[in-house]
Amino acid sequence: MKFLKGNYFLGFLILLALLVAVVQNAFVLHLLIMVFTSVALGLAWNVIGGYGGQLSLGHAAFYGIGAYTSTLLSIHLGVTPWLGMIAGGILAVMASLVLGIPCFRLRGTYFTLATIAFAEVLRILVVFFKDFTGGSIGIVLKFNAGFLNMMFKNREPFAYIALGFMALTYYLSVYIENSRLGYYLTALKENEDGARALGINTYRCKLIALMISAFLTALIGSFFAQYLTFIEPESEFSLGLSIALTLPVMIGGIGTALGPVIGAFIITPLQELLRVYISGEHQGLQNIVYGIVLVVVVICIPQGIYKWVTGTIFRKKTS
Amino acid sequence: MLIIIGQSLISGILMGGIYALVSIGLTLIFGVMNVVNFAHGEFLMIAMYITFWVFHYFQIDPYVSLLIVTPALFLIGVVTQRYLIQHLIQAEHYTQIFATVGLSTIMANAALFFWKADYRMVKTAYGTSTLNFSDLVVSYPRLISFLVAIGITVLLFLFLKRTYLGRAIRATAQDITGAKLMGVNINRVYIFTFGLGSACVGVAGALLMPIYYAFPTVGLHFVLTAFVVVVLGGMGNITGALFGGLVIGVVEAFSGFFIAPELKEAVYFVIFVLVLLVKPSGLFGLTKG
Repeated sequence: MKFLKGNYFLGFLILLALLVAVVQNAFVLHLLIMVFTSVALGLAWNVIGGYGGQLSLGHAAFYGIGAYTSTLLSIHLGVTPWLGMIAGGILAVMASLVLGIPCFRLRGTYFTLATIAFAEVLRILVVFFKDFTGGSIGIVLKFNAGFLNMMFKNREPFAYIALGFMALTYYLSVYIENSRLGYYLTALKENEDGARALGINTYRCKLIALMISAFLTALIGSFFAQYLTFIEPESEFSLGLSIALTLPVMIGGIGTALGPVIGAFIITPLQELLRVYISGEHQGLQNIVYGIVLVVVVICIPQGIYKWVTGTIFRKKTS
Repeated sequence: MLIIIGQSLISGILMGGIYALVSIGLTLIFGVMNVVNFAHGEFLMIAMYITFWVFHYFQIDPYVSLLIVTPALFLIGVVTQRYLIQHLIQAEHYTQIFATVGLSTIMANAALFFWKADYRMVKTAYGTSTLNFSDLVVSYPRLISFLVAIGITVLLFLFLKRTYLGRAIRATAQDITGAKLMGVNINRVYIFTFGLGSACVGVAGALLMPIYYAFPTVGLHFVLTAFVVVVLGGMGNITGALFGGLVIGVVEAFSGFFIAPELKEAVYFVIFVLVLLVKPSGLFGLTKG
């Protein structure tokens, strides 16, 4: 699978860009957008959840902060979502410090529980301050096409932006993987006390990884608000979303850069097709399917498809 | 003012009994096998639905249906442990979390699929009846739920202290190797414990039905509360979960009145994080019970 790395991945991205340019069908474009953003969200989560082994089930908080910041800035102050997106990212980084500084003293399941609580508190606050946030009804963004508004008449530009996110998160992941931070994260994931004994400031490493992860997640939250033109606290800050965005990672392979890419290309089209073809009259069915996929993958190939495939190929070569 | 405080205290403590019962199931499972069952809330949801359907089709009173719901949930717990968790006991930490998270997704959405998103309620003759002590009002079904919850907790406690199986469970929680050397069948203890923890939530589900609605995501609210309670009482500590449940019930009632009803969850989540930070082993001493 080494051929997918580096320049080959660039080739893959160019191919996808050509695909976006060629495809006219609105649904296929939507599918591509969903896949690209799933990759990006998965890779963003993977920075702290995969490389750092700190399993967050509260990433919806950062996503929601991104979506709400850019939307509220644009509605109240007329700020372009391009800037609002950055502002959302910065706010999410601050939020990640609020979460991380106290909670990275916790380990394992305790940390996971704290992240769930964190996203829940944000959801409750967004619902409560309804004069400012629109409350539980949510906000419908006024559609006003234009580059500055990050709203477009057809889906092609959205697809390019989403592809951009995918490229950004992928190369950042590869960079982190081969950086000092990446090695530190791997070390602390394997054995935190051991890593500390070697002089690694594990607390700081986890914080930095969470900040990066939060920033990226918030960017995509902002993007999605512009794409769907509707946000509400029940979905932007939900535990369901936090779980859903880890799905490509779990399927493809946790703690790898290619894993979430593979995972998203497998599971996201399936989810979207199920959504379109069956969920109209059968509420819940598509989520049952992804729950089953999650359980089966975790039991049968916990290392994910990427490592499983490379593992079997490698074994064949040596034998 | 005094009446308001008294009233909040009463309704808080009564609700706290239910929280305690849900949390005891969770903390028991955690204490013995170090697994947090993220599908615990969905087990509660299933228990509530069973109570509802049994009432709907056979007019069996929720309190009587305890005799059906509790064994049913015990069985669900046993099956979950035997066919899901058992494979993951040795596995990496994240697989355990995501296996139960996946299970919870399946169960909540299966409920949505089969039973729709409607709010289901059991209408009983005693549903709204109250006991009045001068100015204080005590809801009758809430009082019953509370008393049964406390009774079950005491029974569970005695079971763990006095019986062979109870001792085997505690031994396993303390030291797996030691328990094995003493001839305890660890896998059986695990299966039984998971069943027992799930049965607790079955009791809670039946007790909740006369005072609460069943809907597919009802588990989420209660499991989040249970996480708070369990951390408050110390993970794995049963007495801690009992007191933690009562504390959260009271905190909820007071913050609902004095701050804002919509913010009561935020208040106890803040408490949760504070406890995690100041004393991760819980407010009530030891980590294991």
